[in-house]
Amino acid sequence: MHKNETNCFAVIYIPFYALQCARQKCVLEKSALDNRPLDQLSFEVVEADTSRIREQEVYDDESSDFPAALLDQEGLHVIELNHVAECAGIQPRMSTSQALARASELVLYKRRPSNEQHLQDTLLQLVYRYSPFIENSAPGICTLDLKGKRIRKHALWLRELLAQLRSIGLKAKAGVGLNPEIALQAAKIADPILEILEDCNLLQSLALESLGPSPFLLDILKNWGVRTLGALTRLPREEIGQRLGLEALSLWDRAAGRSTKMLQLVQPPEKFEESIDFEQRLETLEPLLFILRRFLERLTLRIESIYLLIAELRLMLTLEDGEKIVRILQIPAPTRDVATLFGIAAQYLETLQTTAPVTGFHLEVMPSRQAGHQFDLFQGGLKDPNRFFQTLARLAALVGNEKVGIPQRIDTHQPDSLQMLMPELGWSRKNVQKSGRPKTGPGLRRYRPGIAVRVELNDGKPVLMQSHLISGRILETRGPWKLSGNWWDRTRWETKEWDIALDNGGLYRIAQKTTDIHEARRGTTEINDDRLHSLALQDHWEVVGVYD
Amino acid sequence: MSVSPKIIELRKILAERYPQQTGTRSLCIPTGWSPLDSLLGGGLPKGAIVQLLIPNISSGGAIVLHEIIEAMHDISQYVALIDSKDCFEPAADHHPLLLWIRCNNVLQALKATDLILRDGNLSLVILDFKENLDKELRKIPRSAWYRFQRIIEEKRNTLLTITRHPIVNSAQITISTMHRLSMDDLSTQRTDLIKFISLEMIRLRTQQEYRYA
Repeated sequence: MHKNETNCFAVIYIPFYALQCARQKCVLEKSALDNRPLDQLSFEVVEADTSRIREQEVYDDESSDFPAALLDQEGLHVIELNHVAECAGIQPRMSTSQALARASELVLYKRRPSNEQHLQDTLLQLVYRYSPFIENSAPGICTLDLKGKRIRKHALWLRELLAQLRSIGLKAKAGVGLNPEIALQAAKIADPILEILEDCNLLQSLALESLGPSPFLLDILKNWGVRTLGALTRLPREEIGQRLGLEALSLWDRAAGRSTKMLQLVQPPEKFEESIDFEQRLETLEPLLFILRRFLERLTLRIESIYLLIAELRLMLTLEDGEKIVRILQIPAPTRDVATLFGIAAQYLETLQTTAPVTGFHLEVMPSRQAGHQFDLFQGGLKDPNRFFQTLARLAALVGNEKVGIPQRIDTHQPDSLQMLMPELGWSRKNVQKSGRPKTGPGLRRYRPGIAVRVELNDGKPVLMQSHLISGRILETRGPWKLSGNWWDRTRWETKEWDIALDNGGLYRIAQKTTDIHEARRGTTEINDDRLHSLALQDHWEVVGVYD
Repeated sequence: MSVSPKIIELRKILAERYPQQTGTRSLCIPTGWSPLDSLLGGGLPKGAIVQLLIPNISSGGAIVLHEIIEAMHDISQYVALIDSKDCFEPAADHHPLLLWIRCNNVLQALKATDLILRDGNLSLVILDFKENLDKELRKIPRSAWYRFQRIIEEKRNTLLTITRHPIVNSAQITISTMHRLSMDDLSTQRTDLIKFISLEMIRLRTQQEYRYA
């Protein structure tokens, strides 16, 4: 082993984990509804029981000032409580009414397993940045094997990690020790970081309960007058083993800091998602945007910890009537910038119209690596592709989706057959082929739609043209050029085009289009056959465009 | 320290291949169409509005437009064409670097121009008002052009407007073409046709005049 390498373990411990998760969800939702920043004063929804809801104003990091307890999913029994609630005489497994009888100011939260799972995933993801050997020890507890890390001052990175957890609303502690057990015990008594690498006496004063022995064993030891780890380790190890069995032996080893527990290494989950079910239905956009930003902040933090970028946002809105709206938003240039991602998602949500209020929101992000894009020396790429594609979306909203993009001719002889494609981001010089230029003639400015015109013929050639926009004597003509297609189906088209020089100096392209008598018959049932016949014979002329 | 011959050779190759990318011309966006570039001293100035006047009906305006788009394509630059009357006819089967915005009216075109200029990703934005009626264009408030000018100055892109008559009072450069096409030009090679289109400088403001415009 290198002389600078450490051989110790670290534990990240989130006290009252389930309670913190439940509280955080309540604060988030209430802050969203009140539209106020989370960092500042926030409100908590307090649910004593289903018939009682009141609000209590609390400061963000003073959660221990008031008694708080977590209820099970049914909302009937207390399953976790803070120190203040313990001091008030409340115990786990008490019913709601019993707990409230002991402390009327008790704040009760409903358990949110999904939120707990998301936050546990986040915890694993964040610690994975600092060590590849991690154990998902328990909800709110994660153990890191720091073997091989060339770090002497653990406080620096632990402080950074705790700050990251704090930014997502979790108040955590960290302990470092020579084995996972010492590290865990250190984390439990830390404020907020404690390293126990040489002197284990600090742990001697800890209560036996901190090791979580079985109630039977704990009862016996307490009857003996053994209440701390120090008192336990003063007893002879072999004697304890003989009298109380393997469990007591293991407890003695753990109390003495001789635990030989192996870590069960895990990989952080690859799924990056956040979800919330609203207590109150949402009818305006602002709370949703608030939640969206908060989720994006958390998810980008996780993505950042694995040095990836976000390439796709998957939004799912659950409506009150049960309908689910799912939308996948591609990020043109993968990024971790919250403002950019928020802008893209918010732009979609602003244009969304729902049939019922929103009751749930789910956001999943898909990570991606940095796109390899080798520019050449003078290539003009896009400075900010994400902004460009946001602008494209705004342009599409202004003029219509089919009216903005890159023009491409459809493979047909029918005039003006174009489709609009979205610009490609992964564009490079070698993909750009030399476009085939037309060999002859000026360009055409095409009138869309064509201008209806009355044309007078002489000897089969147009000599006079009259319309509400363009009129005049035709000085010179070229044509006709006959074009037709799709004769095999109902989309049959046929046209004769002429190039003309008008006496106003303009060069125009005009077209004589033939009306399909069968199509006309299908479209107009009231017209008699004679009229249809005349329609078919009466040519329809229009000005296609002007040469320029 | 003497420069390596390989470096000198590389510089020479680059200068031959990209002649427009060096020297003072870096303040301009070379269009690659030599009559226009030589008239403007290297290309369309960055951070300015250029107004191209084409008063006649058939005078080669579309040819100029196509030449600029093709030239920008050749140097791998995106171009935005804001087509106020939806009358552009693509010359090629595929224009991978042309962003064509097909508007229905002048107001839409102005809004689209505002969006695309503020975006700042595209170095050249062409606003084509050639087919719009004068009475439509007269309704554009002058402040719109000054606003565009301020955006362009900040983003360092270029706006080229194509109109029949001068309407852009904040344009730094106004050029015009008075050519008239004839029937025989319809069968003339494009490369020959472009030679007959001459451009004339109508107005050139100094940088100081332009800033205080």
